[in-house]
Amino acid sequence: MDQSFVRRIYLSGFLVLVISLFYYQALKGNYFLKRAEHNYVRAIPIRSLRGSILDRNSVLLAYDKASFNIAVIPHQIRKKKDILFKQLAEFLSYDEKIIQANYKRSFSNLFSPVDVIIDIDKAQALEAKEYFSGDILINPQPQRHYNFSYECAHILGYVKEAASFYENLKKYGYAPNERAGFSGIEQYYDAYLKGEDGGDLIEVDSSGKIVGFLGERKAFGGEDIKLTIDSRIQEIAYKALEGRRGTLILMDAQSGEVLALISSPSFDSNAFVRGKNVARFLMDKKRPLLNRAIQSSYPLGSTFKPIVAAAALEEGRSAPEKKFTCRGRLTLGRATFECWATHGPDDLYEAFAHSCNVYFYNLGMVTGPEFIGKWAQKFGLNVATGIDLPYERKGFVPTPEWKRKRLKTAWYGGDTLNLSIGQGFLEATPLEALVAINAIATDGYLVKPYLIKEMNKVEASAITKSFVGISKESIDEIKHGLRAAVEFSDGTAYELNRLNLEIAGKTGTAQTKGLSHGWFVGFFPYAKPKYAFCVFAENCGSSSVAVDISYQFLRWLQNKNLIEK
Amino acid sequence: MTTLQARFRLTPSATLIICIIFLNALSLISLYSSLHQGGKFEQYSVFYRQVVWIALAWIFLIIFSFINYRLYYDLSFIIYGLNIILLLWVLVFGKEAMGAQRWIRFLGFNFQPSELSKITTILILARFFASERIRRSFRKDVLLPLGLVVFNALLIFKQPDLGTALILFVLFFLMGIFSRLPKKYFILLLIAGLALAPIGWKFLKDYQKKRLIVFIDPNVDPLGAGYTIIQSKIAIGSGEIFGKGFLSGTQNQFNFLPERHTDFIFTVIAEEWGFMGSLFLLFIYWLILKKILDLAKDSHDRFARQVLIGMSALFFAHIFINIGMTLGILPVVGLPLIFLSYGGSNLLINFILAGIIINIARST
Repeated sequence: MDQSFVRRIYLSGFLVLVISLFYYQALKGNYFLKRAEHNYVRAIPIRSLRGSILDRNSVLLAYDKASFNIAVIPHQIRKKKDILFKQLAEFLSYDEKIIQANYKRSFSNLFSPVDVIIDIDKAQALEAKEYFSGDILINPQPQRHYNFSYECAHILGYVKEAASFYENLKKYGYAPNERAGFSGIEQYYDAYLKGEDGGDLIEVDSSGKIVGFLGERKAFGGEDIKLTIDSRIQEIAYKALEGRRGTLILMDAQSGEVLALISSPSFDSNAFVRGKNVARFLMDKKRPLLNRAIQSSYPLGSTFKPIVAAAALEEGRSAPEKKFTCRGRLTLGRATFECWATHGPDDLYEAFAHSCNVYFYNLGMVTGPEFIGKWAQKFGLNVATGIDLPYERKGFVPTPEWKRKRLKTAWYGGDTLNLSIGQGFLEATPLEALVAINAIATDGYLVKPYLIKEMNKVEASAITKSFVGISKESIDEIKHGLRAAVEFSDGTAYELNRLNLEIAGKTGTAQTKGLSHGWFVGFFPYAKPKYAFCVFAENCGSSSVAVDISYQFLRWLQNKNLIEK
Repeated sequence: MTTLQARFRLTPSATLIICIIFLNALSLISLYSSLHQGGKFEQYSVFYRQVVWIALAWIFLIIFSFINYRLYYDLSFIIYGLNIILLLWVLVFGKEAMGAQRWIRFLGFNFQPSELSKITTILILARFFASERIRRSFRKDVLLPLGLVVFNALLIFKQPDLGTALILFVLFFLMGIFSRLPKKYFILLLIAGLALAPIGWKFLKDYQKKRLIVFIDPNVDPLGAGYTIIQSKIAIGSGEIFGKGFLSGTQNQFNFLPERHTDFIFTVIAEEWGFMGSLFLLFIYWLILKKILDLAKDSHDRFARQVLIGMSALFFAHIFINIGMTLGILPVVGLPLIFLSYGGSNLLINFILAGIIINIARST
């Protein structure tokens, strides 16, 4: 065997090497170059500080505070990951499974820090750093905190990691834990609040140590937002509802500034930021996440009666002095329509004071469903109020035409009677009801409720009013009637007269499945209305519950001197 | 053209020396680069130690180029015996480093006797295979040298140094096939050896098994054993055609390559000098192998031819296995790249071999 055979063996060996090198360097070179760059170039996101949310007196409602995370670099701990996690869990009395889960969730590559323990306090973080030194990194991150986490939950919403957007954000070098506002002000003004995340583009070595700096994009903080809310009133309103299902709204009657807005029961917005213990809110049959003030519509009951009166007076179908006699019921054909008591002959004021159904049955019949529907729409019950909160729903105003088209049946006299006392198909959100009744207080203007007062110290509120198109005379008559409901000793809301606030308003007991809903919608002072408020208690049985809540709420406000004269 | 070629034709020894000088220079350049971290040169001592090793190695080359190679024919058994004693010494008193017991201290330097085994194996096999006897016996001429190789390899395997142990068998088969002995003996032995390989699996250390598994699929363990292969492939590939330039290999400079100045020096070269650089390096290596084979062809001494083939086989095996493992086409067995990798023992052996080659060239 001569050396040419050996030479051929060597040659084929070299050929294999040359072909492999050609494949890796010439054909796939670009692919490997990208992988090499990915290896050593890191985008380290720097979170922008989200704008704070303040109440009208500059009390902090929501702000970013530093939270401390413990991060590890996968490549660095590759040989002792499990032991390290176990020790970390023991040292910080943290659940080892959560550490492992966090690691799995946030792992992006071998050299980027992965947050394994999230949100521990500074002292703990420093202790851990001292103990584990080089194996862990302390990663301070802004975390949203809410000061009135239950009271303001529905107004503010909460901030959460936008994991679902991660695929879109990933290519810009962002982590999957980018934050975004969910519901409430946090969502509605997210674009202003969130600011702009920045990042450093750095070179790292294999241990994750920074060895060079390539560039940066500055993080810009979000805008601070000042709300019209008064946190003290908000607290009292929350307390007045006592956790029962319902809502309480207090609004500046003339401007539409919302001073308090409670939906009850509420939820803990801080829990949603951390994503811990939220199942109890999500599973709760009382549906605490629902903002009952704007996201659900209910039958209005007797609180609709002022609008029926407006229709009758404006369309010239009745006069305030006209009396209808109540014998406890009204018979139409074979059907009997009940009143809640026997009131005898009532004029408009007495009918408001007693909330007499028979009077309004008659008024409705003389006015007709078309006109009632027309005026219900004029009072805005079929359009959303436009408050600056997401997911607002609008009410529904039925008309004979609608019933014919959608339900394929005729509009009966009974439908008219039901409509006259705010029952049947009619529904509205509590905020719509408040804005409608407030139109009586503002001499015929629908005021758009709003929550934003200042954006970054610049006045951002804009009073928006639209005229209902009602005469001053009619307004005065109805206003007088609403005052009677509180002022008359046999008025349905006479209890409120004890507060000496010159309250005018209308109670409502709306029949529904189960116990009736209780309503009180009113404004004060009667002569020159400054405040309008709405109390709604779901399935409480009677309007007297709503009146009791109103009384308690306003008395506490008085005691704390929170009502401006 | 022919006259021009004739005028500038270099003797094989001159070519060999020029190639080695080139490789020395490349070795120091790459070592400098691989010790350069984040824009700073670190570990001066490692660099200077290699300079000293290279200087020492040249002295050895010169000394051995003057020792008549026929002397090894006579002394081959004694040299083999001495080497075995050194290996036993290492197993008992040797210095442990990185989980392996391979070194003995000698005049302030650490030396690996397993490197010496490469020479002694070539010499003893050359002696057997170049035998002038007419009647050849399978037992005496094949099994006996195989037994000696196996004994030597076992001692090295025990250290453990799988790569070097395997190299000895490569030498046995390549030199055997080249010899005048019937090829079928070696082919049969090779088949038998491969058939017995699964049994050998049992004797492997865990890390060696892991390396072999990872070789089949580096992604099995991207943080552990597969890490080196993945990073090495990224480094080589990202060099593209013309390389990233001296001191500009990001994989190297940012410390993504472990063992880059020893077994993975080729990765540094391929990353910084690209496909063109790798190709040129392979050309230099090919030139060395070709000159040794040319000498073997021209030599009339059978022992000299066997020795030359053994040396070329040793060089080839190192080149092929080392570069193959940096490319991920062969398992990581920890063989240095000749004349380039940091480390004195292998360098010294290579230079001694070159000295012997030059001596054979002079005698031809």
